[in-house]
Amino acid sequence: MQLHTLMFGWEYPPHHSGGLGVACQGLVRGLQKQSVRVTLVLPHNLGEADEGVDVRYPTEELRALVKVPSILNPYDGFRSYGERWHTDHIAKDNPHLYGPNLAAAVEQFTAMSVEMTKDVDADVVHCHDWMTYEAGNRAAIHHDIPLVAHIHATEFDRTDFHPNPWIAERERKGLLQADRIIAVSDYTKRLLITHYGIPGDKIAVVHNGHEQPADVPPPSLLSRYGSRKHPLVLFLGRLTVQKNPWQFLEVACRVHAHRPEVEFVMAGDGPMLPELIDRACECGLQDNVIFTGKLGQREVQALYQAADVFVMPSLSEPFGLVALEAIAHRTPVIVSKQSGVAEVLDHAFKVDYWDAAKMADCILTVLREEPLAEQLKAEAPRILQKLTWENQAGKVRSIYTHLLS
Amino acid sequence: MTPLISFYFQVHQPYRLRDLRIDEIGCGEPQYFDASKNRAVFRKVAEKCYLPANRLMLELLESYPDFRISYSLSGMFLDQCREYGEDVLESFRKLVTTGRVELLAETYYHSLSSLKSLAEFVTQVRKHTEAIQVLFGKTPSVFRNTELIYRNEIAHVARLMGFRGILAEGADHLLRGRSPNEPFLPPTFRLSRDREGIIRKLRPLPRPAEQIHVLLKNYRLSDDVAFRFSDKSWVGFPLHAETFTDWLTGSGGHCVNLFMDYETFGEHQWADTGIFDFLRALPRIWQERGIRTATPSEVLAAWQREPKSTQRYDAHNFISWADMERDLSAWQGNRIQGAALDAVYALEHAVKATGNPLLLEYWRRLQTSDHFYYMSTKYWSDGDVHKYFSPYESPYEAYRRYSHALCDLRQRVAAETGSTPKKATRRKQR
Repeated sequence: MQLHTLMFGWEYPPHHSGGLGVACQGLVRGLQKQSVRVTLVLPHNLGEADEGVDVRYPTEELRALVKVPSILNPYDGFRSYGERWHTDHIAKDNPHLYGPNLAAAVEQFTAMSVEMTKDVDADVVHCHDWMTYEAGNRAAIHHDIPLVAHIHATEFDRTDFHPNPWIAERERKGLLQADRIIAVSDYTKRLLITHYGIPGDKIAVVHNGHEQPADVPPPSLLSRYGSRKHPLVLFLGRLTVQKNPWQFLEVACRVHAHRPEVEFVMAGDGPMLPELIDRACECGLQDNVIFTGKLGQREVQALYQAADVFVMPSLSEPFGLVALEAIAHRTPVIVSKQSGVAEVLDHAFKVDYWDAAKMADCILTVLREEPLAEQLKAEAPRILQKLTWENQAGKVRSIYTHLLS
Repeated sequence: MTPLISFYFQVHQPYRLRDLRIDEIGCGEPQYFDASKNRAVFRKVAEKCYLPANRLMLELLESYPDFRISYSLSGMFLDQCREYGEDVLESFRKLVTTGRVELLAETYYHSLSSLKSLAEFVTQVRKHTEAIQVLFGKTPSVFRNTELIYRNEIAHVARLMGFRGILAEGADHLLRGRSPNEPFLPPTFRLSRDREGIIRKLRPLPRPAEQIHVLLKNYRLSDDVAFRFSDKSWVGFPLHAETFTDWLTGSGGHCVNLFMDYETFGEHQWADTGIFDFLRALPRIWQERGIRTATPSEVLAAWQREPKSTQRYDAHNFISWADMERDLSAWQGNRIQGAALDAVYALEHAVKATGNPLLLEYWRRLQTSDHFYYMSTKYWSDGDVHKYFSPYESPYEAYRRYSHALCDLRQRVAAETGSTPKKATRRKQR
């Protein structure tokens, strides 16, 4: 049966390559390999899309037509909303300061959703994360076809379990409206059951896939971070509460006490950068920690390759694609137990996000024991053969088929 | 002809490791072993298996004068009895006093020393034999190696140590269609003069045996009880004592060797599966049908009374009773296992040079095969038995703890001998 999915996304590479965008792209490509036609609706002009994908986005005329007053916030504003909510006192004291703005932006995308897709003859609507849920819902009602809500991250994950009630309610409503929910991990599924009261039998788990990077970075880039004389421990992610970079510094302090020559790289940008720099200096790590800021794809790959250990200490990580990226570059990984990726990794250390002592111990063990590092490097990548987007999209396809039968 | 039935049960508990941390290494004398965990596991298994199973065995031995069984009690188990369960040790003593229970010899530390160091291997067998003599007043005459690890050479070492019999897995590829139900002989050859000299110096029994027979585990019938008894998807489920007895007699030959872990009764197969009732029914049915049981040395004695030709069992490569592969891959299947095993035996000379009994004891407890089994990644993702039996979260956690313990031991040994430990110097590059 030829299937056609009408998909609502929020970001898509290269426009932005956060976890959501990367996962969305992987899934679209995987679905195409599974002979599923995809019509993708995005809030912005993509520039150039993948071949064979019908990509739609709001045009000026359309905006005039539906007459929504506010303009779309830049993407980053949405992404960091929860973080600002958490870290910024102004946001906390004035919950409506950002609320209406965000609400209006989402509402605009929602209002245009049906307009943009009136002519699409799809079998199923599939939407990604809360910003698109209402758009998906209206499209599903308009076309009278089933609705699949995919959840890549919840408001609870983003805010250290201090959710913005408006967003959390929006998520809950969207999830309840869907005919089927796809969570990126059992971890997220449990969170939806516990914190959103969603019935467990409505939720299917499809772990994210991984696409092998095509190009290997040149050696000049490899030597740029850390001299290869010393072991290198890598953190890569946005410097936000959710990713727990503060903990990485705690871990670094403990490792430093035993092995002062070890270098630490914190790759990524984010609102916590200034306080992290202060903290690193306070700990006497100024000569051992390198803050790279936001990096390009090739630099990121070079870092993965140069690292001796990759650490993902996230507070609450629905999946954690970065861990698979590190593994693809044959780097041993230590991941937070409070993550989805921990469910699919066999050859890795898994530690509670709060246990800095144990994380440090695992790092020191990997650095000390060469056979251990070698085995982790050799064995961990096996999972990537199983977790391809083609395989994972096959699971999504059978969810569609099941809904339509 | 109706075969003899020979039961042998393995009884063993390892000393599991603590969640050791790197900052404990080289700081005083950290505990390597998790006393509270080891106590908890021991007591759990004692209540579910050792005590109820021993009660039943005693009852059966008292009710059926021809009923015979055999055990191998590892030194690690005996040590833990002294720490956590005198009651358990006492219940085994009662069984042995019936005179119809044979105790087998093994390495005291349930170790893989047969793979790594002949002197250490013979020393550990000697220590075990002495412990059995002291605790039970018996001298073993049949040997079983850790996890039935076996090859021709081990049979000859056992013969030179003084044993008349040795147990092994009845591996299909070595039997090549023959039945495992009779004693076999290993091919004859001589060990090097040096190796013979080491054995002569350290052997547990006063003189070598002239001949050693191999008793082979009938793995199909043994595993029907040990692994499949409660498997509802198994065609033989539910297994009744009558049916099983039919299978035993149908199997024919001189003896059917049923070798299994003692935990089969009450721990691997829980009481509510009916395993105890099954066991209770067997001697009654066997008595009614005139089927006799025998201990391994009685099986051998019976075999030698009737002159007949004995076949060869030629195990050039190692076999064991572990996993589907029945080879060494459960302990030597990956890089971390190999590294850990090499590292612990690399310390042999230095540890012995200290002459410190405490360090020697730690080093030997770190040789227990379970430590390496927990590091196996063979079927890790399939949630198989390695996972089920591991007290740790993962094979990597097992290695982390083990390598810390070994690091500390290495430093303590170096401190006593006044030398710098090789690996530690490289690591301390501040």
